[in-house]
Amino acid sequence: MIERWALISGLKGDLETYERIQKDLKKIRGDITLFVLGDMVGAERNCNSLIDRLINPHPGDLKPHCIYGWWEDQLLAERGFRGEQKADALRLNKGEGIVKALVNAVDPYYLNWLASLEFGFVELDCGLIHGSSKDIGDKITIDTPPLILLDRLTRLGVNRLFTARSCQQFHLELTDAVVNSYVKDIGGDRKQEQKVPKRGVIGIGAGAYYTLYDVGSDKTHFLNVLDQPKSNIRGFG
Amino acid sequence: MRQVWLISGPPGCGKTNWILSEIKKHGGSCGYIRLSGFSEKSLEQANSSEIDFVFLKDQIPQLIDLSKSSDHLFSDQDNSLIFIELSQFYLPNQSGLAGIDPRIISQLENLKLLPDQYLHFGRDTELSIKDTLDFTKIESLSLNLQENVWDPPSLNTFWFELVNGAYGDVYRAKALLNIPDGRSMYFNWIVSQPGSQFLQLNDIAPPKGRPQRISQLVIQGRNLEFTRIKSTINLCLINDSVLEMHQASLSNQQLAATH
Amino acid sequence: MKQAVISCLHANLPAVQAVLNDIDRQGIDTITCLGDLVGYGPHPNEVVDLIKEREIPTCQGCWDEDVVDGLDACDCSYPSQLAERRGHLAHKWTTEKLTNENKDFLASLPTSIRRDKLLFVHGSPNSQHEYLLPDMDAFAALERVEMAGAETLFCGHTHLPYVRELGQGSIRVTLKNTPNKQTEEKEMNLPMRRIINAGSVGEPRHGGSKATYVIFDDKTNKIDIKEVSYDIDRTCKAIIEAGLPPIFAWRLNHGFEFAELAEDASHVCER
Repeated sequence: MIERWALISGLKGDLETYERIQKDLKKIRGDITLFVLGDMVGAERNCNSLIDRLINPHPGDLKPHCIYGWWEDQLLAERGFRGEQKADALRLNKGEGIVKALVNAVDPYYLNWLASLEFGFVELDCGLIHGSSKDIGDKITIDTPPLILLDRLTRLGVNRLFTARSCQQFHLELTDAVVNSYVKDIGGDRKQEQKVPKRGVIGIGAGAYYTLYDVGSDKTHFLNVLDQPKSNIRGFG
Repeated sequence: MRQVWLISGPPGCGKTNWILSEIKKHGGSCGYIRLSGFSEKSLEQANSSEIDFVFLKDQIPQLIDLSKSSDHLFSDQDNSLIFIELSQFYLPNQSGLAGIDPRIISQLENLKLLPDQYLHFGRDTELSIKDTLDFTKIESLSLNLQENVWDPPSLNTFWFELVNGAYGDVYRAKALLNIPDGRSMYFNWIVSQPGSQFLQLNDIAPPKGRPQRISQLVIQGRNLEFTRIKSTINLCLINDSVLEMHQASLSNQQLAATH
Repeated sequence: MKQAVISCLHANLPAVQAVLNDIDRQGIDTITCLGDLVGYGPHPNEVVDLIKEREIPTCQGCWDEDVVDGLDACDCSYPSQLAERRGHLAHKWTTEKLTNENKDFLASLPTSIRRDKLLFVHGSPNSQHEYLLPDMDAFAALERVEMAGAETLFCGHTHLPYVRELGQGSIRVTLKNTPNKQTEEKEMNLPMRRIINAGSVGEPRHGGSKATYVIFDDKTNKIDIKEVSYDIDRTCKAIIEAGLPPIFAWRLNHGFEFAELAEDASHVCER
C-alpha cells in the first residue's frame, strides 16, 4: 500500500477544520500517517476541545503525531515552562491582550501534555519541524535563499525538511549543489569539492490548507478543506 | 600434580599478563595470590593491590583466590597450577628457588604455598622482559575507589594528564575504575611502553545504586603530587543524581530495545 | 593596507604583549580584536587595560559575555565534567578579580564589527558560542558569511587559525509544486566568500604553544597566519601565584587548551 504522510499545522483551536481534514483523509487511499506540526493553540478561540481530541482520538481518527509550534512555545513560556522566559515575542508583536487571550484559551490541565511534545521529528531522512532547528519562528518560504535552505537541512542532518511556520505550501528541490573549499592552516593546505545530494524543502501550509506527501515517490499534493460545506447548526444555536 | 610457581619482577614488567597466558595454556584448575613485597630504601612498594586478581578472575572465571581460600581446595592429585605474584625491585642474588627472599619464604610457609619453581623478570629467560627499567627512587599512591563512578570523558582527560607527567613523573599506573553504564574498566600503563592498555571487564554492575566491587588506582613514580591527584579525581567522580540520571537513561534504552 | 586581527587573549598578558610587539614591528597600526579578553588566564585586568590603552576595536567574546552576564558558559560546550568544573572555577576567579570598570568595558563591547565587506565576530554571526571549524559543511560556512552580508568573515572562538575560501559554487533550485501547480527551475551561482580564523593569542589549540594571529592585506588580498613565541614560563608562574589550578600551567606549557573543546563543535547553544 502506498505510504503517505498527511501534514497539518496552524489549527489554532479549530476543531471543525481538524474534523474536516480527518474526514477528507478517510477518503484517500494509502497507509497514511498524520503529523501535526504545531500551532494547535492560538488566541482566537478556546483550544481545549481540539487539544482533547488530539490527545484522545475518536475511533476512526488517524492518530495524530504532534510537535509544538511557535504559539505553543509562547504559551508555555508565559506559563513558566521555559525558565525565566515569558511570551515576549507575542507580547511585542500582538500586545498584552493577545497574550492574555492565548493563556485563557488553553486550560492548564493540557499544559503538561503540550510541554511534553517534541521540537520536531526525524523520519527516514526527513525533518518535520514547525519553523526550523535554528529557530521555531523561522519562516521558510518559496523565496528563502538556497544557502539558508541548505543550512536548515544540514542542521537537522536530513535531506528533506517539512516546515509550517510560513503557512505557505510549496515544494522546492535543491540539486547539483557544489562548492569548492580551500583551507590553509598551520599544518598546510587542502582543497575539497563538496557536493550535496538532492534535497527538498516542503512548506506544508496551515489551517485548512494541508499537505499529503507520497513517501516513496517524493510527490506532494497540496490540499485544502475550504470548499466543504460548513456544519449546519441546529437546535438552540 | 599440583604445581606452585613464584613469579616476581619490578612494577610493570608484565608479571600478570605472563601469568594470564600461562593459565590459559594450562586449562586445568588454577589459583592465584599476589604478595605486595617489601619497600627498599627509596623504593616504595604499592599497597597490596587487588586489581591484578580481579583482572585475572575476569579473564579466567574459574580462578581461585588463594588470599581467601585455604589449600584444602587443591590436593596433590589435582593437576592444579598455582601462581604467586610478587612485586620485587631487585634481582635475586641466586638462581632458582635459592634466590627467594627469606622474608617471602616465611610468608609462603604461613600460606602453605612453597613454590616448586621461581622465576624473576630480568633474571630468567623464560620470562621475556621488554622493559629494563632501573628504579632508583619510587613513590607509591594507592587509592581505594570502591563505589566511586567516573565521568568517562573526565577519566580520559585525567588519565592522559597523569601518564604524561602533569602530576609528577609516573612510571606505572594501573586501575580498575567504574563508569556509569555499569562497566569496570582496567587501565594499565608503564612509562617504557607506548600507549595505555585499556580493557573492559566482563562484569557489569546492575543499573541501580553504586557498584559494590573492587575499584582501585595504583600509581608509582617520582615527585608525585598526591594532593593534586586526589583533588582532580574528585572533580571527575559523578554524584548520586548524575549517576541516577545515567542509570535511568540506560534502563530506558534497554526497555526500548526489548520492545 | 595591512591589518592585524587577534583573538582569544584569555588574560595571558605575556602572550598579548608579544603579539602586539610583533604587530608593531611590522608597522601595522590597524588591529581588530575578536574578543575573549579574559578567561582561564592570570591577567584579566592587565589584558583589558592594555586593549583599552591601545584603543583596539574589539568584539565581545563568549567569555566576556559570560563574565558580564554572570552566567556560566554554555554547559553543553564542555565535553566533560572535569572541563566544566575547571571552567566554572576559572569563571568564578575571573569574575572576582575583574574590576567593575573592566566589567563595564566588556559589557560595552559590540557583538560584531563591520568594515565595508569585512565582518568581525567572535564565534559566528549567529552567536558568540558557535564554532566555525575549518572543515565544517562548506554550504553552512558559506551561509554564515553570505547571510551576514559580508564577503570576508573574521572569527575566533575555535583557537585554530585558518583561512578558508569557498568558491566556484552553484546550485539548481526547482519549484516542483505549489497549490496552483506552479513550477520553475533556475540555476544559481553561489558567491565566493572567505572565512578567516585568527586562532588564539592566549590559549592555542593548534598543537603548538605559540600565540597565533592573522595579517590581512587588503591590497593583495593575502592572509598570513602568524605564530609568535612568548615567555610561557612567566604566564605559568603567574597562574600558580594567582591560585588558579596548576593544571592550567601544565596544559598551557604543553600546547593543550585549558579545557577541551566539545566534540560536537557544530552545536549552537540554544540558550
